[in-house]
Amino acid sequence: MDQVFSVEIVISNKPQARDPEGETIERDLIHKLGFQSVKEVRSGKLLTVKVEASSEIEAKNKILLMCDDLRLYNPVAHSVNLRVRA
Amino acid sequence: MKVAVIQFPGSNCDRDTLHVLRNVLGLDANLIWHNDFKDTSYDAAILPGGFSFGDHLRAGIIAAHSPATDIIRKMAEDGKPVLGICNGFQILIEAGLIPGALLRNSTLKFVCKWIDLRVESCSTAFSCSFERNSQLRMPIAHNEGRFFADDEALDRLVAEGMVVMTYAHENPTGTSRRIAAISNKDGNVVGMMPHPERASDHILGGTNGLKVFESMLEWARC
Amino acid sequence: MLVGELGTTLTREEMDYARRQLGREPNGLEWAMIDAQWSEHCSYKSSRHILAQLPTSGRRVLVGPGYDSGVIDIGDDYVVAMHIESHNHPSAVDPYGGAATGIGGVVRDILCMGTTPIALLDALKFGEITKSDHSKWIMKNVVRGIADYGNCIGVPTVAGEVEFDDCFERNCLVDVACLGVGRKEELLLAQATHAGDGVYLIGGSTGRDGIHGSTFASRTLRADSDQERSAVQIPDPFTKKLVIETSLEAGRAGILRGCKDLGGGGLATGLSEIADKGGMGIDVYLEEVPVREGDMGPVEVMISESQERMLFVVKKGSEGFLDDIVRRYGVQHARIGEVNATNRIRVLHFREPIANLPTPLLANAPIIHRKAQMPAVRKLEHSPERPSDLRSPLLDLLASPTIASKEWVFRQYDHEVGIRTINKPGEADASVLKLPNGKYAAVKVDGNARFCDLDPYLGASSVLAECCRNIVAVGAEPVAFLDHCQFGDPNDEEIFWAFSKAVEGMADFAKAFPLPCIGGKVSFYNQDEESHKAIKSSPVVTVLGLIEEPDDVMKMGFRDYGQALVIVGRTRPELGGSEYYHTLGRNGNAPPALDFELEVRTDRTVHECIRQGLVSASHDVSKGGLGVALAEMAIAGLKGASVDCTITQEDKMRDDELLFSETNSRFVLTTNKPSEVLEVLSKTNVPADVVGTVEGNSLRLGLNTTNLDFSVDTLRAVYVNSIQGILEPWQK
Repeated sequence: MDQVFSVEIVISNKPQARDPEGETIERDLIHKLGFQSVKEVRSGKLLTVKVEASSEIEAKNKILLMCDDLRLYNPVAHSVNLRVRA
Repeated sequence: MKVAVIQFPGSNCDRDTLHVLRNVLGLDANLIWHNDFKDTSYDAAILPGGFSFGDHLRAGIIAAHSPATDIIRKMAEDGKPVLGICNGFQILIEAGLIPGALLRNSTLKFVCKWIDLRVESCSTAFSCSFERNSQLRMPIAHNEGRFFADDEALDRLVAEGMVVMTYAHENPTGTSRRIAAISNKDGNVVGMMPHPERASDHILGGTNGLKVFESMLEWARC
Repeated sequence: MLVGELGTTLTREEMDYARRQLGREPNGLEWAMIDAQWSEHCSYKSSRHILAQLPTSGRRVLVGPGYDSGVIDIGDDYVVAMHIESHNHPSAVDPYGGAATGIGGVVRDILCMGTTPIALLDALKFGEITKSDHSKWIMKNVVRGIADYGNCIGVPTVAGEVEFDDCFERNCLVDVACLGVGRKEELLLAQATHAGDGVYLIGGSTGRDGIHGSTFASRTLRADSDQERSAVQIPDPFTKKLVIETSLEAGRAGILRGCKDLGGGGLATGLSEIADKGGMGIDVYLEEVPVREGDMGPVEVMISESQERMLFVVKKGSEGFLDDIVRRYGVQHARIGEVNATNRIRVLHFREPIANLPTPLLANAPIIHRKAQMPAVRKLEHSPERPSDLRSPLLDLLASPTIASKEWVFRQYDHEVGIRTINKPGEADASVLKLPNGKYAAVKVDGNARFCDLDPYLGASSVLAECCRNIVAVGAEPVAFLDHCQFGDPNDEEIFWAFSKAVEGMADFAKAFPLPCIGGKVSFYNQDEESHKAIKSSPVVTVLGLIEEPDDVMKMGFRDYGQALVIVGRTRPELGGSEYYHTLGRNGNAPPALDFELEVRTDRTVHECIRQGLVSASHDVSKGGLGVALAEMAIAGLKGASVDCTITQEDKMRDDELLFSETNSRFVLTTNKPSEVLEVLSKTNVPADVVGTVEGNSLRLGLNTTNLDFSVDTLRAVYVNSIQGILEPWQK
């Protein structure tokens, strides 16, 4: 039976592609204001989608397929991470 | 030669581009609303600058999925000249017609300035009227103009002559290998960040942009 | 949602007046509508009678103050529309959203007239970014907001001004002006004139953002103002771009009777103003308004200031054409009312009347006559000691944020889109744009809070004079202006006095020119409740000029070696209100004098020199005085010059007075026909002298007691890198 799953899609720059936004936040905000124990900041874009599927795995696969088909991320420069919540 | 200038919701350099093609160069050019662009009979197509679909999700990605882009793809396959300017460049990349990615400027700010360029390849539909290594001046105006591809891909682009223009001195956006314009393998599809339509009148700063469009005519003749 | 004693800005007198006029007690919704419309921001109740002093007629004026934008006839059946907006309170709380939506608002005012927006200008005032992280944050985000929005809608931001002063720390000022062009025959006035015409709401949905925006702007900021986020509207430039295309196409198709921007006061204000101008009434069907949240009550719907909304009054029978246009652009539209001859605004909810007010009552708040009291004379300041060195003061001035290059700002603005921009930011005293009839428009925005604080009458007239000088310096003839009066709490008698004197000053200079005022804005309550600090009096003006021939367009950089430098006007020891004094932590006692007649005569004669082709570069002298003006010309032209500054002084004075006084009525011109230039100027008795030559790569200044020598590269490095170095020290 189909349920509705909430899937978080996080799109961020691949390590080889510089992430100046993450760098700026780390250097100019976090380190400046004393949070020296923070070692790295990466920025990304979050999309939260609700999808009907019969299982978590199916939900994740459906969304991964959608990301690839629609080029929600550009594979040359971005990596994508999915996380499912019930 | 019939030239189509495609308008997407949010395009804003469409009328500027049409003005130069029609009124300065005397070409048979028309503005076509993306939903009305169904006809591959045009001889050339230009995707103008702007913020198609508000640049939502990523500049150019939503326009890349428009049926108009399928027509563009067909024209490209037929070897017709296709030029993407700024947002148009972003659309061509997202449509897979040109390799690579265009990321946010490393300064994290929009940059609008006239800048020195060097012509690296004269074997494309939009640079064949130039001489190799000629220096030009044209304005750039963008927030996401940092070209990126991994080192291997970049080496290949350079080796295969697909780098059309580079920034000659300063690199205001952190773009890899100073790349300002790229073409496809056959040279008929070109994406460029600088705005040639804005460099088409002396009183506005220079006319180097005219040769970009004139190349299109020369290419058709070859 | 309750309105009334809770959260209303209406005074007891106003409420009594409303009850008397209506003949009964207004209900909750009616009070909310009156509250929004009668807010200071929307009604100008404290200022209308004072503003009436400004001259408004001129041979080119087609539409004067009182409409969404002023309109000037530029010949050949073309018109130029102009308007200015401010978003001071929202920007102080949410600088990105506040500034961005400010652009949205002023662009709508231009669209309403049936004209196409072609240029934006911004006049910004922030606290001292050299001392305050808060002001850095405000500035970065205001600029980003303006950039993101203006760039996305494709209207170039071509000129502006940024001033810094401690008084703006908690009350930044964000003014945006817009210029539009169009055909005379397509001019629209926001009037409902024909019964049976449909009233349509176009664009964004109506939501809870922006509720009480105009009343928020009509109160001083409080400590908890940060929580007032609902008063800030959310920008959506993509929707705006589609609304622009829709409006222009509908206007050109001839299906619109009128078009109205929905801004302060939302539907309540928009509907009452459009009906009042046409002497008609409107029935509103509230359930037809597309809302973002399903549970919004009638009050929320009527006063919401959600952005990107316009009202169209569509000619009866043309509704089908409208459907075609909105469908093409994918823009939301709804028929929310109908024009009738009742002269009443009636709000219906599923046919139940829930509000019913006479149009003239709603649209016309009773005037408030506020008291004005001249403040006590301030303690006189003594002159500072003579500086031992003049090099550092000039370099410090070039680095001071108010004077330093604003490149950090304008590089973020697409100032080229539209391919009309001839004078780019930083190149000249004013922006110059191509007009569709082959002529050129010059436009500039100016303010000077330091002058106006010392003497509002003289300061405000100087602000208008300076702006006109900037227009003349680029070869244009000033033809119209907008005024934007920004002050603290008008209940404060001294502040209201300053406002009255400032308007008087602008009015007197405008009459002397003569120059018609075709529109403007008043923004009161720019004051922090916690610190009781009001901003300094900050009137800002926007002047429009016209140029006929392309060769008349002037920039300020030194052009050719060997050309002569001519200084027009005389320098007097007048350091009051100067940027130089500000760098010393001083104010001075009075701003420089202004001889109206001499100023106007000087403008006309310099314009004549330019028109006769005698001038190659020109720059007016204002903030920072002669030293800064000469440095700016050297930097812009990347060439040096040798100048004997002493020739221009009326009587011998201190060298800092000579270099840094901001004496009015002065220009610096370069020419290769110096004797002819002097001849033209002497014919009208305008003082002028040849003072030097363009040469080398150093700026050499001859003063009374010493000579200064600066390499142009040094000057440029200091000038261009200053603001970048303050805001983003890590960025190269």
